[in-house]
Amino acid sequence: MAQIFPEWTNKLQTYAAVVVVVLFMAVIGFFWYYGSPKFTDVGYRPEQPVPYSHKLHAGDLGLDCRYCHSTVEFSPVANVPPTQTCMNCHKLILPQSEKLLLVRESWAAKTPIQWVRVHMLPQYAYFNHSIHLWAGVGCVTCHGNVRRMEEVTQMQPLSMGWCLDCHRNPGPNLRPHEELTNMEWTPPDDQAEFAERVIREKKINPPVDCSGCHR
Amino acid sequence: MKDARIEMMDREYWRSLDQLADTPEFRRFVEQEFPESLPELDNPISRRKFLSVMGASMALAGLAGCRKPVEKIIPYVSQPEEVIPGVPSYYATTMPFGASAFGLIVECHEGRPTKIEGNPQHPSTLGRSNVFMQAEMLNLYDPDRSDGILHNNVKTGWDAFVTFWREQLMHFRQNDGNGLAILTQEFSSPTLFRLGRKFRRNFGSAGFAVYDPVEDIYLPDGKSDGQTAGYRADYHYDKAKIILSLDADFLLTESENVVAARRFAAGRRIKDVDSPMSRLYVVEPELTATGAMADHRLRVPRSMIGTFAAAVVKEMERLRINTGLSDLVGLSGDHQFDNTFVSVLVEDLIQHKGECLIVTGRTQPGLQELAAVLNKALGNSGKTVTYNRVESTASSLQQHDDESLEGIVKSVQAGTLKTLVILGGNPIYDCPASNDLADAIESAGHVIYFGSHVNETAQAAEWHIPSAHFLESWGDTRAVDGTLGLIQPMIQPLFGGKSDIEFLGLIATGEDRRGYDIVRETWSDILKGGDFEKKWRRVLHDGMLSQDRKSTAEYKPKIEKDNRQILAKALATIPTKLSSEDIELTFQVSPKLYDGRYANNGWMQELPHPTSKLTWDNAACMSQTTARSLGVQNSDVIKITNDHGEMELPVWIVPGQADYTISVELGYGRTAAGRVGSGIGANAFKLRPDRQSSFARGAKVTKTGRRHKPASTQDHGAMAGRPIVREADLDTYREDPDFAKEMVEHAPLIGIYPPYDYSKGYQWGMAIDLTACVGCNACTTACQSENNIPVVGRSRVLNGREMHWIRVDRYFTGDPDDPDMVFMPVPCQQCENAPCETVCPVAATVHDKEGLNVMTYNRCIGTRYCSNNCPYKVRRFNFFNYTSHMPDVVRMAMNPDVTVRCRGVMEKCSYCIQRINRAKINAKKENRTVRDGEIVTACQQACPAEAIVFGNINDPESKVSKIKALKRNYALLAEYNLRPRNSYLARIRNPHPKLKGHKLTHG
Repeated sequence: MAQIFPEWTNKLQTYAAVVVVVLFMAVIGFFWYYGSPKFTDVGYRPEQPVPYSHKLHAGDLGLDCRYCHSTVEFSPVANVPPTQTCMNCHKLILPQSEKLLLVRESWAAKTPIQWVRVHMLPQYAYFNHSIHLWAGVGCVTCHGNVRRMEEVTQMQPLSMGWCLDCHRNPGPNLRPHEELTNMEWTPPDDQAEFAERVIREKKINPPVDCSGCHR
Repeated sequence: MKDARIEMMDREYWRSLDQLADTPEFRRFVEQEFPESLPELDNPISRRKFLSVMGASMALAGLAGCRKPVEKIIPYVSQPEEVIPGVPSYYATTMPFGASAFGLIVECHEGRPTKIEGNPQHPSTLGRSNVFMQAEMLNLYDPDRSDGILHNNVKTGWDAFVTFWREQLMHFRQNDGNGLAILTQEFSSPTLFRLGRKFRRNFGSAGFAVYDPVEDIYLPDGKSDGQTAGYRADYHYDKAKIILSLDADFLLTESENVVAARRFAAGRRIKDVDSPMSRLYVVEPELTATGAMADHRLRVPRSMIGTFAAAVVKEMERLRINTGLSDLVGLSGDHQFDNTFVSVLVEDLIQHKGECLIVTGRTQPGLQELAAVLNKALGNSGKTVTYNRVESTASSLQQHDDESLEGIVKSVQAGTLKTLVILGGNPIYDCPASNDLADAIESAGHVIYFGSHVNETAQAAEWHIPSAHFLESWGDTRAVDGTLGLIQPMIQPLFGGKSDIEFLGLIATGEDRRGYDIVRETWSDILKGGDFEKKWRRVLHDGMLSQDRKSTAEYKPKIEKDNRQILAKALATIPTKLSSEDIELTFQVSPKLYDGRYANNGWMQELPHPTSKLTWDNAACMSQTTARSLGVQNSDVIKITNDHGEMELPVWIVPGQADYTISVELGYGRTAAGRVGSGIGANAFKLRPDRQSSFARGAKVTKTGRRHKPASTQDHGAMAGRPIVREADLDTYREDPDFAKEMVEHAPLIGIYPPYDYSKGYQWGMAIDLTACVGCNACTTACQSENNIPVVGRSRVLNGREMHWIRVDRYFTGDPDDPDMVFMPVPCQQCENAPCETVCPVAATVHDKEGLNVMTYNRCIGTRYCSNNCPYKVRRFNFFNYTSHMPDVVRMAMNPDVTVRCRGVMEKCSYCIQRINRAKINAKKENRTVRDGEIVTACQQACPAEAIVFGNINDPESKVSKIKALKRNYALLAEYNLRPRNSYLARIRNPHPKLKGHKLTHG
């Protein structure tokens, strides 16, 4: 009986296997890269209702982060300032600016401004700002160099793995208390010694159990 | 000694008669933890609906998945000075509850109250709470509260009512208030008293009546004319060695139960073999929480409690204790009660003169005076019982005898009452059969009802004014011991209600003033002298006026004139015997719905009743003997008829009920409670002869042939046949203090995994004292409030799907008709070798370094393997999305520090991990370790008996370590090498040696 398939088809199985494996890897690789917060979340820059410039206020004018985000050292939440904080200055500075129209409206009508959240953690993750600041983790570590941002952009993936990297090895991200809001600070040469001392003195022991953040 | 232990081990514990008889139904339930049949899916219509809903939500899920959801941050416009977003604030206030007041500390998140705790300084709570205090959190956010003023059921404005009322006042000012009356519930607020007096002064001929379906009893002042106050007994259970309760459920449904439970537990909590322990005798018709704590309990129909008291008096006289009542009871003649019981009891009382106590309660209004007389004769006055002289609403504001519910009904019928103002309560629903207000009210001219809901009374009224919740209003209270407290608002009225003082202020004077101003006017008098503003701020901060209160007035009961008649009546022998033809109906103040005021509260509806374990229903509770003689079984619907009316209820057999009595919970059968509480159970008020009666004889029972299965949780999570609860009597414990630990013999406990080193850092653990636990359910409700636990509804409770993270199991042991009862609260035991963890395919439940068995909701895929493998049955599964259809206002009750779980996720007790983390972070920021007692779990904080202790077991000085070191400490199912972090202190009973093994009989 004549052969139905020509000889070259013998290798088809091998080719098919290779293609399947490659495809499989490609699919995994696709989701690995494009599905991860590194791709999906980093760079997120929503448009805000008020064209507020962190670069101008915190960078050029040199306002400390805590002038507006005043509860960051006491509360799990770093508060977004109330309209009143804006109006403290803008009653006198640029009181007629068109960009500030919404702020003035909010102040007059007593209706809050609805800002768009940039750094979004899932609701089952309970992050506490105050304890991170106490330990010596600076703003820039998670939020990027906000002083140079015209519009706030997410710079880090804020994924669980990324959190755990630091929780497992907090040393490189610790800094002296007075440098917490300094976005241009670079670790000195003796960072390792400094970190070791701080970890010992403050008994820094970040949780790596589920219960540390999930309730 | 060995014998005693063997006897203990042979003792059989059961949860239901089904279990005792080992019926197929029971076995099926236990073996199938998650009954698979979904009645919703068996029904084709609802199946179609289910699929269409599913389809829709899938489509949405698909769309939503493509894009990151945009979340908004909404800051304040101008931030209040004291609010730090993310950090809760705590405010002190008080909760008015009839003639009582509970001091509270309320947790608020950004101006939204989320959790209620007791105020440690306030004498009525001492930092602890009960189910009603916890339930108020949900009541505040009840979406069915009325949201507008109704005139003939049409919405109108407050101004319209003010105009209407000022016109009315013009008229009544001219005729001195003739034809005007106020019907109110009892209150304790000094401001309401002041306004009430103002009303009296302005309208001399107007009526002022007080009606409460559950009344507190006052002892008369002695000055029968112009009486302004009465006495209330303050029982010191902690100082008493022998306690006799004559039908008083003082640990649960009586007033001041929080303090009572705490004091009672203090007298029972034994640390060591030589610690003293009080002994409790209870005589009651239905098995209550107090009855469960009894060392000796005699079941006696409610109508015969007085007769029993007479037997006690007789026996006391025989033993030469001069009660002054000898001529009332007669000295000769036998009584019909168990002779040994009565003689041992009286002997015990007499041997402990000055340190014993006789208690009665609301169910026996006639016996109050008698208890006072007997306590005096036994030398207890001023020692185990003191008296507080208090101004009662009725005695200080009612002037004529006909100023009562009865009087109002009569004068409406006679046409003399033109305008009736009803201040709170729900009298149309809860008035007794003899004073049918509903019929009468139709012929009244104007009826104005002030209340929180458009309920039965509001529907019948011409005007309905919505009331603000006490967490939304200014006001004040007075606790039973006279401590004055302030009510301060935590939140603006959500539904635009008015506070009771604002309303009564308008009614009494025609002035429309702010509650704040009215209260301050009252307090400017109370805080006379010195800097008012400073003192006021202090009171506001503390929630109460801290004063040195020396224990108070001396009450000298008199046995003459009126009193004598009351006493004689109370002590009269009831001759007729009960039978299946002549049933005694007893009305039980509901430990969940109270008088019906919590009917629309899902937490309360789903809370298992301490004895019957019923949820979502009331039932005709009766003993096995009664059921047999009536030829009925559980779930048979029967019709109960008496002279006043009839009602239909399912039968529920409850061991320990007096034979030929049927006990019915009040507060059910509401027709206009709201979406949760309407149409559940039957209204027993309609069979209640009069306002004070707690029983009615001569009821007839007929079968209807229908069946209705009440949702009881008594067989849920049963741990078949294992030695779960461990108890001993005091003598056995003293001889063999290690009995509990050694009750189970087992092989050496060796695990297959290498042991984990738990010797460093914090190691959390909990101990629960079964001797102290009074089964009040406060822990369950507090946990529900703290941990956002959903309510699932009747049909799902029937399927065994209730969600409580801590349940209070109760076990019976002994004679099925007259058993002993034991309570056992069971939260997650936090096993170190947790069987749930090893079977989870996705590692959603794992262990942390501090010994907690933690549950990660977002990992859970809902296999339910963990729950199947949990020997304690403490894991709860979200079969449905219980929170997605929740009205927005109810969501406000959610604790923002705890994740809200969705469908398909397992959940369980976390030892309040949010509180642990908060304390740890706070301690860290101060560079110290967490102090002992800094972390208090929600259940622990609520427990009035202080039965639950939580802390770091690695610290040998912590309270929990010391308790776990006690000899009666044992771990549940330790023989399986689960190494639970929870442990229990065995229950110790203190029976009288002469009554041990004595089988009680009764008349």
